[in-house]
Amino acid sequence: MSDRSDSVYVVGVGMTRFGRHDDVGDLDLAADAVRQALGDASIAWSDVDVATGGTNGETKPDNLPTYLGLTGLPFVTVRNGCATGGIAMLTAANMLRTGGGDIAVAVGYDNHARGAFNSSPARYGIADWYGETGLMVTTQYFAMKARRYLHDHGISEESLGRVSAKAFANAADNPLAWRRDPLTVEQVMTADMVNPPLTRYMFCAPDAGAVALVLARGERAFDLCDAPVRLAAVSLRGRRFGSFEVFSPWLTPGEHLSPSVDAAAAAFTSSGLRPSDVQVAQLQDTDSGAEIIHMGETGLCAHGEQDKLLAEGATEVDGILPVNTDGGLLANGEPVGASGLRQVHEIVRQLQGRALGRQVPNGPRVGFTHVYGAPGISACSVLVRD
Amino acid sequence: MTDQRMVDPTLLASSDPVALAGARCSQCGTVVFPAQDGCPRCSHRPMDTHALACTGVVWTWTTQHFAPKPPFRPADAPWEPKAIGYVDLGEVLVEGWLVPSARDWAIGDAVRVTTVPAWTDDAGDVHTFAFEHAEAQA
Repeated sequence: MSDRSDSVYVVGVGMTRFGRHDDVGDLDLAADAVRQALGDASIAWSDVDVATGGTNGETKPDNLPTYLGLTGLPFVTVRNGCATGGIAMLTAANMLRTGGGDIAVAVGYDNHARGAFNSSPARYGIADWYGETGLMVTTQYFAMKARRYLHDHGISEESLGRVSAKAFANAADNPLAWRRDPLTVEQVMTADMVNPPLTRYMFCAPDAGAVALVLARGERAFDLCDAPVRLAAVSLRGRRFGSFEVFSPWLTPGEHLSPSVDAAAAAFTSSGLRPSDVQVAQLQDTDSGAEIIHMGETGLCAHGEQDKLLAEGATEVDGILPVNTDGGLLANGEPVGASGLRQVHEIVRQLQGRALGRQVPNGPRVGFTHVYGAPGISACSVLVRD
Repeated sequence: MTDQRMVDPTLLASSDPVALAGARCSQCGTVVFPAQDGCPRCSHRPMDTHALACTGVVWTWTTQHFAPKPPFRPADAPWEPKAIGYVDLGEVLVEGWLVPSARDWAIGDAVRVTTVPAWTDDAGDVHTFAFEHAEAQA
């Protein structure tokens, strides 16, 4: 096939268990994921032409060759919050397309301490009073955004419970997930309230983990892998005026367009596929309201359709639109630099029919990933097993 | 009222009646809070100082059930859950405390901007702005 030459494929994936890794160094964790990905692709580190990597922590990703082999390869470091993994993958793919070589590694990792994510107003260009009066709290934002969305689109609070119950049910079968104890919808909804309408089981938490991908260009991908997964599109977008983002002392009236809408639309346009073609999806579920909002913003369903879809089990593994089949952020936590690549890891395995946890039936061929975060960025990808 | 110390003196356009100090873009009409120099929509600068409406309706809300970590400055009293929301003032939605905290808040509730004590230091109470439910107003 002549059109293969410009295409980039995922030919290997590696991932550590997500959760607490208090006694493991950040770079050791990352190296573990890279070695697993290399093993999955049956190649050596010396076969890799270019590498990209990112973390939100203090280590320098370009020190990884010290752990893996000082082969002289170019290593590009990225640092873009929750979009770090997606941008590492996008950068690696572009390096291959522009003649950087045939094989790339993209890695993302973080090893957050318990209760990380304390934000200072100054880092966001906000005056001190905002933090001093208790408004600089991310969970407030998620709760207020969810409440307004539910109100605008006639969605019940029970849907928030269903999203979390689904996440923990999926994670129960995923050996790499962090929170694997199943909870009923009622247990989720009656748990300690953090910020109504969101209870403690409706939020993800910072933790640790690393994920790596091996990418290959053109025919080389088919030499290395029986079932390479094509990177049909990766799109990154920032916020436009009027979006509703975390740490906003004010908002503008009217419609609040999200960068998720723009990033998803760009990814679908670029891939030549439509949201209705997606057979398995990974969406940013920082909280259970976010998964509901992002189903609509990415175009996977109409705004307001979520209540019916969730009640019917459409987003469960055997439903018509499986979402976050590995437990998502709710059950895996959020090592920020690794989270986006965890999504890709799960989609690649689903499309190859070798999910570690629950496998989507009937051989899905088209997958979708979406991350979203501060200060208003989103990265989306469309993945295809041709 | 005029003797009140605020968490940030630039937040109020007037203290009697209480009005928040925003800024308005003379070119595109965008209103922001707190005041800033350049317009985030059309890049025009400077923006004009602009007193915001004193009344509005709750656009969304939540309750902060746990005491936030620093830089939050707690009051001397034990922590009580605090209602927080965005209030639609017409030209702009502003985030702030909703008072009284212990009531069944709903989207669309009518409120008026006021000031309330935030914390106490050696020189006395320090106040912040808040939105008071219409039914609670004297």
